[in-house]
Order: sequence, then C-alpha cells, then structure tokens
Amino acid sequence: MGLPITIALVGNPNTGKSTLFNALTGLNQRVGNYSGVTVEMKKGTMSLSATESHEIIDLPGTYSLAPRSLDEMVSVDLLLGHLNDVKRPDVIVSIVDASNLERHFYLTTQLMELGRPVVVAVNMMDVAKTQGIQIDLAKLRETTGLPIIPIQANRKQGLDELKKAVVAAVGSSPPKPVLFPSLFGDEVKRLADLTNNTVEQFLIARWLLDVGGHTEKQLSIKFPPEVSVAVGQARDRLTDAKLGVPGVEARTRYGWIRERVGQAVKRPAQRVRTFSDRLDSVLIHRVWGTLIFFVLMFALFQSIFVGAAPLMDLINSGKDWLATRLDNLMDPGPFRSLLRDGILKGVGGVLVFLPQILILFAVVAILEDCGYMARAAFLMDKIMSKCGLNGKSFIPLLSSVACAVPGIMATRTIENRRDRFATILVAPLMSCSARLPLYFLLIGTFLSEPWWLPGVVLFGMYLLGFVTAPLIALLLKRTVLRGETPVFVMEMPSFKMPQFTTVLRRMIEAGWAFVYRAGTMILASMILIWALLYFPNKMPDGRSYDVALDTLKTDLEQMPKNDEKVEQTEETKANDEAREAKQGEIGSLAGDWQRQSYLGRAGLALEPVFAPLGWDWKIGMAALASFPAREVVVGTLGIIYNQGEVDSGEIKDSKNPGDTPLGKTIKEEWSENPVTGKYRVAVAVSLLVFFALCCQCVSTLAVIWRETKSWRWPLFTFVYMTTLAYAGALIAFQVGRQLIG
Amino acid sequence: MFPLDCLRAGESADVIDVHGEANWVCRMAELGIRSGSRIQMLQEGTTCLLQVGGCKLCLRSDASSQIMVAPVANSHPVHS
Repeated sequence: MGLPITIALVGNPNTGKSTLFNALTGLNQRVGNYSGVTVEMKKGTMSLSATESHEIIDLPGTYSLAPRSLDEMVSVDLLLGHLNDVKRPDVIVSIVDASNLERHFYLTTQLMELGRPVVVAVNMMDVAKTQGIQIDLAKLRETTGLPIIPIQANRKQGLDELKKAVVAAVGSSPPKPVLFPSLFGDEVKRLADLTNNTVEQFLIARWLLDVGGHTEKQLSIKFPPEVSVAVGQARDRLTDAKLGVPGVEARTRYGWIRERVGQAVKRPAQRVRTFSDRLDSVLIHRVWGTLIFFVLMFALFQSIFVGAAPLMDLINSGKDWLATRLDNLMDPGPFRSLLRDGILKGVGGVLVFLPQILILFAVVAILEDCGYMARAAFLMDKIMSKCGLNGKSFIPLLSSVACAVPGIMATRTIENRRDRFATILVAPLMSCSARLPLYFLLIGTFLSEPWWLPGVVLFGMYLLGFVTAPLIALLLKRTVLRGETPVFVMEMPSFKMPQFTTVLRRMIEAGWAFVYRAGTMILASMILIWALLYFPNKMPDGRSYDVALDTLKTDLEQMPKNDEKVEQTEETKANDEAREAKQGEIGSLAGDWQRQSYLGRAGLALEPVFAPLGWDWKIGMAALASFPAREVVVGTLGIIYNQGEVDSGEIKDSKNPGDTPLGKTIKEEWSENPVTGKYRVAVAVSLLVFFALCCQCVSTLAVIWRETKSWRWPLFTFVYMTTLAYAGALIAFQVGRQLIG
Repeated sequence: MFPLDCLRAGESADVIDVHGEANWVCRMAELGIRSGSRIQMLQEGTTCLLQVGGCKLCLRSDASSQIMVAPVANSHPVHS
C-alpha cells in the first residue's frame, strides 16, 4: 500500500461505534479539534501491519445527514472534504445494528450519496440472534451492492475482515445512490445549474429537502436571493406532484430499504421477549423504577464514602510523612512554609480526594455504558417537561454531576436554542466532583453519625442541585428564555454488560484531568493564598512569626511527655498542664499571625458580610479564595487551620472514613468559637449549601461563554448563582440556628 | 384511527399519519416512525415508551405534533 488512507466512522448513537473505534485504534487516539468549531471528534490510528497504519475519524453519532445544527453540519463538511485541516475521507465505514437493520440503513443510504466507497459493518449480530432475527449477509451484499462485514465490536470479532474490506475499498467506485423520483432529480439539477455547479448535488438536495435546516441557512446567504426563491418554487412543484418535502425522502429511502434490506432479514412473527425487556419492565416502572433510581443513587454516594477510605488514609499518611521530612530537613522560613503549607498541604489536601473522584466516575461510566442512564432520562422526562425542558436536558445535567464542562458541551444535542441555553445556565448548579472534597470534609467531620447519615446528607447535596436546577430552568423559560415545552424523542438502547476498558478509560481521563487541574490552576491559587496568608511575617518585636512558632514547637517537643500506661500522679498532671499551656501559646501566636496577614485583614474587614451565614473570617476567606476553582477551599482551609497545628500524626486513630486530620482541627476550632460554636453543624450546612449553589469555577464560565458566544450569559450565570448561594446559605444557617437553639 | 396517546400498553398499531412541523416529521421518519410502520405501546403516559422495529423509543409529543394510528387486531393490553 502507498499513502496512508483516511477512514470516517459513521453511525447512529448506541450502535457500538465508540467500542469499534476503541477496538480498531487501541490507545492511539486523541480528541481532534476542528477549525472554529469545538465539536468533539476523535481521531485515531489503526495499524494493519508494522509498516502500515491509517487514520480513523470517529464522527458524533447521528440518525441522518440532514444537518439541523452547526455540529451536524461539521460532520457533513468533513465527509465532503470541506474542512481545511482534514483530508476528505477515502472510505466511509457505516456501522449498523444487526437487530434493527432497516432503520440504520437510512443513514447508510445517505452516506452512499457522498461519492466515496462505503463499507457496512453490521454490529451486534449476537443481539439479533437472541431476538430470533436471521440476516442473510450474502443476499444483503447482492441487493445493496455494498461490502457487508459482520462484526462483534465488544469481543473484537470480525475486525481483521473489516480492515481488509476497508483497504480493498480504497479507490473503488462509489456505490450507486438510492434513486429518487425523476422529478426530484430534475429539480436538483436545475438548482445546481443556478448555482453554476459550485456546490455538490448532495448539498443542493439537502437544501431542497430540509426546510429551515442548516444547509439552507448556510447556502441561502451564499447565493443571490433568486436561488432561495427558486428553491421555494421547486418545493411547491414537488408538493403539487405529491412528492412534497420532507416526506419524499423518507418514502424513497425506506422504499429502497424495504426492497433490498427487507429481503435479507427474517424476523420472528412474535417478538422474542429478551432479558433487557424483562429488566425494563421493572426499571422504568413508574413506582418501582423511581424507587430503584433513588436507591441506586444513594448506594452510589454511600459507596464513594466507604470505598475510598483506605486509599485516602494512605495518601494522608504519605502527605504527613513528607511534611515531617520537610520540617526536619529545612530551616524555618518562607521557602519551607511555601513547600509545606502552600504546596504540600494545599495541593495535597485536594489530591486526597482522587480516590473518591475515581469511584464516582467509575460508577457513572458503568451506569452509562450498561444503558441505565437512558432509563433515568426517561423516568425524569415527566418532571423535566413540567419545567419546560425535556429528558434530553437530563443527560447533560447528569453529566454535570461529574463536571459541568463536559455537561455543558453535551447540550449540543438539544436542537432548540432556548432549551439549550436554559440547560447550559442551570448545569453548573448540579453538584460536580470538584465540590466533593468539601462535602467529604464537612460531612465526615460534622455529620458522620449514625452510619447512614453521610450517605443521606451527600445525597441531599446532590438533590439540592437536582431540585434547584429545574426550578431555575422553569423560571428562565418563563422569563428570559420564554418558549414552548419541546417535544421529546430518544432512543432507549438495550442493556448490555458494561465494558471494563470503557470504564477504565473514563476513570483515567477523569483522574488525569483532576490531577492536572491540581497541578496547574489549583497549585497557582494555593501559592497565591499561601502568600497572602504568610505575609507580612514580622512580629511587633521584629522577629518573624515562623521562627517564633518553630521555637515554641521545639520547646513543646522537648517537654516531658507522659506514658499513657502509667498511672496519673502529681508529676504527670503537671506535665500535661505545662504541655497544654505551651500548645495554647502556639495557637494564639499562629492566630495573631493570621489575623495580621493580608488575607486575614481583608477577611476581618469583610466579616460583617459573612456573619449572617454563621461564618467567621477564616471560612469567609476560604470561600472567597475559591471563586477561581472551588476545590481550592479544602486546601485553603488546610493552610488556615493547620498553621498552628502540632502534629497531625497524633490524630489519625479515628475509625470514621471521612474523618481527616484537617476535619479534627476544624471541629475543634469551630467548637471553640464563642458566637457560632454551639451551632457548628448549622455553620457546616450553611457552607455546604453555599458551595452547592455557587458558581466557583472559571472553566465553567469560560465554556458557557464559548457555547453561547456571548459574555452576557456567563455573567448572568455568575450573578444569579452567587446570589442564590448567599441566600441559600443564609436560610440554612438561620433555620439551623433556630432548630438547634 | 386515533391518536397515539389512546393506545394502551401492550397494544400494537400501524402508523397512519405523522402530523406536525416538517422537521419533526423528518426526525420521526429517521427514527422509524412513519406511515405504515408497526409500533407497540410498551408504557403509556405523558412520556411513553414505544417498540419500533428492533428498538425502543421514548416519546413525548405535544398537541401540535400528533401521530395517528390504527390498532392491529389480536393485540391485547397487558393487565398488570
């Protein structure tokens, strides 16, 4: 073989297209970005032998090539070779579902019109078999004139045959397209002449067929208005001849399919009731299904708590070990403080939550891969429709539970602009994984007993987003984004075994993204916060605070320590008292230092703003510092509360998984607060609510700006969410205080 | 012939006409709901679940976009 070829992979959603792409490319893949548009298309390399490899482009799943949105238009442009930085594909692989060949061939017939060879990969032959469907592949090859390759993408079967067929198809003549009624063909030719044949006939046909579609939008401005008028007249003539658009397309294509594909497929007279059907009768049941949904969600959140504990302990001990090392190796000073308090405690404090994020993504990936997410969307559609949205908005919202950025990007499947914007604007209200660290810290510290409470509270935090988001959406749809409730149609895929590699891939991607963020944005924020809290570092007597603190700590270490096993005597009592006095001295010195630091001064000045929420200046500063990226809050709390800390190793004997050394320190400090100490649980809830509702993420605002192409919407999101968060936290604290008091 | 929402769970019907905005009719056709196709109601309700060919479709339409169907004899509602 000579030059490497480019292969486009096209198919309906849920055909196993991504599975096939992964099987063909292995790890040689990356997300391709295409000029100007941010549609996610994956590119990969498929190797045939040691010397020969080809490029595969995985296009987003679609039911047809009638472009209704900008993203679908990009797919069409790519297939026609109109994109500047991508070679026009040499071969198109159309992946179809064996259990529903007729419908999947609809897209295939459109692909046949692009002037490139098409290879059909028939996936999920086993599912068709269990449903009693028989496919005569030889006959199908004969009637359609296309290379037809049976594959089983999840078991990597038939891949070699597919690769061979693809290579063999290069340069062969494109398939004969489905013949439309001659009158339709005449109209297309006439319009093509009007445009001086500067546009492919495929696009002319799309212009004619898709009333109000994207081709029309694009081409009608490219040509003089006469052409648009001619298109309208052509449509009228077709309607008069009973070939009106869009009906003529479906009739013609399905006619061809019935004739050619129908012949090769034998279905049982009675549909076989599959395992998936039986599972569905429970899972989408109005009562049982909803109940199971809530139980599943609770199990998810509880499992995150319990499952991650051992790993978190490990990371914590590693962090402490390193901190002790640093203390022993280096002299007190700004550099040691930066390394130990800013970077190790700040970034390390965020990284501790990596195990939980991995578990969350694993469970979400499993639910998505096995097909449960579509059931959840179905169950939720009724509620969503009451808020002026539909089940399709539910999936972006659910994805936002992991992270709002991909969630907002997932709204592109929503065709109506107003519904899409409403979904985008409320997506950041869903509790994303970046909020988890704070949830874990506070729930583990203040709301960990009895055993079921952490799961319930965590579920409650997610529920807060799930309830608030639709309500805000409703408000938006009634005001700034007024419009009708959209119709809803969605395919429900069959249940299948989740694939280990898919789940693993998602975990690695999410884990890496989290670590990357911790290493860049969060690291930078932490250094800034550390500096604001470290400087100025001069005591009234001219000494620097950290040297003074270190001296006190050394004093403490050298003081006699009691053996717990020894009985209490006058001497041990005196030792204890002396140690306690020394610790108090350390604490008050650390407090003085913080209060006179830049961050402390700002916090104290702003304290009246935070007071109604039950927060002191420390909590307020941690919240303020988290506006660029909310994960920063845990690191900031770590810096603020750990400066006076003596030895975090001492308080690690707890049996509670959520109980971290930082949690203990916070609990002690909050309890000692003369004003809010009694209501520390209410303070915790107030802080939880604030973080649940606030838009503390620059990346999210950036993606909203990119997706809405206006700075107004991100600004709007920021303002409404911050207001909402303040109000929510205010209510939480004031109500909580009444309940406790 | 009656609108789709009158079809009970378990009943099968043939689609007679898909009525509504051109875009919506087109989308329905792509998904396999077009005059002549056989469908079965799996779960009725505001958002219903249909068996169309080899796949299941969730559907919620409004008053302006209706699907008219003719029930097929010998199909009975499931009693649950």
